[in-house]
Amino acid sequence: MDDKLNVRQLVDAHKGTVKPAIYIDQDIYDLELERVFGRSWLFLAHESQLPKAGDFFTTYMGEDPVIVTRQKDGSIAAFLNQCRHRGMKLCHADSGNTRAFTCPYHGWGFGLEGGLSVVPLEQEAYRNGLDKSKWGLVRVPRLTTYKGLIFGNWDETAPSLEDYLGDMAWYMDGFLDRREGGTEVVGGVHKWVIDCNWKFAAEQFCSDQYHAPYTHGSAIQVLAPTPENKSDGKPLGDGQTQRPAWANGLGGVQFSEKGHGSAFFFTEKPDANVWVGGEVSEYFRETYPEAERRLGSVRALRLAGHNTMFPTLSWLNGTQTLRVWHPKGPNQIEVWVFCIADKAAPDSVKEALKASHARAFGPAGFLEQDDSENWVEVQKVLRGYKAKQTGFCVQMGLGFEERRKDGIPGVTNYTFAETAARGFYQRWVDMMTSETWAEIEARTKEYQKELVHG
Amino acid sequence: MDKIFVCAVAELPPGEARRIETDPVIAVFNQDGEFYALADRCTHGEASMSDGYVEDDCTVECPIHSAKFCLKTGKALTQPATVDLATFKVEVEGDNVYVLAPAQVAA
Ligand code: FES
Ligand code: FES
Ligand SMILES: [Fe+2]
Repeated sequence: MDDKLNVRQLVDAHKGTVKPAIYIDQDIYDLELERVFGRSWLFLAHESQLPKAGDFFTTYMGEDPVIVTRQKDGSIAAFLNQCRHRGMKLCHADSGNTRAFTCPYHGWGFGLEGGLSVVPLEQEAYRNGLDKSKWGLVRVPRLTTYKGLIFGNWDETAPSLEDYLGDMAWYMDGFLDRREGGTEVVGGVHKWVIDCNWKFAAEQFCSDQYHAPYTHGSAIQVLAPTPENKSDGKPLGDGQTQRPAWANGLGGVQFSEKGHGSAFFFTEKPDANVWVGGEVSEYFRETYPEAERRLGSVRALRLAGHNTMFPTLSWLNGTQTLRVWHPKGPNQIEVWVFCIADKAAPDSVKEALKASHARAFGPAGFLEQDDSENWVEVQKVLRGYKAKQTGFCVQMGLGFEERRKDGIPGVTNYTFAETAARGFYQRWVDMMTSETWAEIEARTKEYQKELVHG
Repeated sequence: MDKIFVCAVAELPPGEARRIETDPVIAVFNQDGEFYALADRCTHGEASMSDGYVEDDCTVECPIHSAKFCLKTGKALTQPATVDLATFKVEVEGDNVYVLAPAQVAA
């Protein structure tokens, strides 16, 4: 154990308490960049964003800017977006197609495969003394794809993506594998900045169904598929069950493992949330038989609920929003939002989905704003002297964890619980205080074993 | 003059370029159905002009620092290049594209 910042005293997953320092402390944040973001599998881009050789997409791994590119041989590579000469950001475009990357500062040129190929005034200035083979871009050493999503990891010793995901893959498949042909990103990437710690957003999508009935109460009220809300003939949620899923009496499940989390309510019919457009909910009803063949009924019926793959990739079924919470210091994040559609969906459905998605979860989305407001206001309170020292309660459903016998995998609880939040913070502590992956995995395993006795 | 085979016409569509491994290396371009050949190595740095961008105004732009060269004359049109590129004659014979290179260009 190597707990130089005493973070084990700030998080107690067994009792369900956290101290606010984990959201504001600069030293803790700096260690997160190294120990969490420096060794986790991080989402980089969707394969559909890089169809051709030379296509690239720039993003971040933690605070490290990276370039993801499609190579001439069809493979994908990612590099630190930092010129090897004097550290200038190499590529300043969000995305595009190119044959080379040229540094805007002194003009060093790098090939798609990351090698340094051109140095201005090489003979006159370096007198041919520069060994260009030593100054290629720093490559992201681990890169892999999972059902269309591209992931990178800085840590050569990290477990495989499959091991890292564990049973989270089962939940992820329910989002990415409903139809033959997989998924694609529709439209561009919405990006915006809000002032809160990355863990508020990531943990809410991991574990917090509890906020929805109240935080989003006004949206639920005005968008209910009742006759009064149907005057324009194209109602949201057309043909759907009227009651919110948590009020239908069928129960639900929250999942937690290795820091990941997911939760949803069971439904009788393949009902997307009431806030997707009628055309979208109809699409989900029509394609249900295929989804059921591929995934079984539990996941095929699931068109709502929240998910976080530790640490910062989150998504929502049904509204099809996928997002990354890029950390920008302890008090800020850049939210990057992608709309994910089945590739096989008709164009009209993709358009309707894009509209539904932006309406609910774009930067001005009626649900997005509710959520952002909570996180930003919590962060503001933490500027206070007393507020910084006051612990938070993460005890919902504590002690009611179980392993289900119906095939729904992992450590589980009822949907309204904070089991996944406790698992998220336990994993965070395990990463923050362990030198090696063997230690991280052993500690996480021990914690999960205590919860469900095996 | 040596006549050096480049490729079949169909293999070099408009907007594209091909590199032939002569010494020095030559780049052959198809600009809107017309073929041109220039020295492949940019006169500013070590970029390969066959990786460049063939533009509508009958120029090719270096992929590294965007110097533009005239496809017809090899003239360096913009910074940072100041030295022109050598030009070579291209011949289309039947379905094939050839470059006519002076003897010192070894295939
Ligand atoms: S910093 Fe990139 S070329 Fe100098
Ligand atoms: S290498 Fe061609 S312009 Fe610099
Ligand atoms: Fe929410």
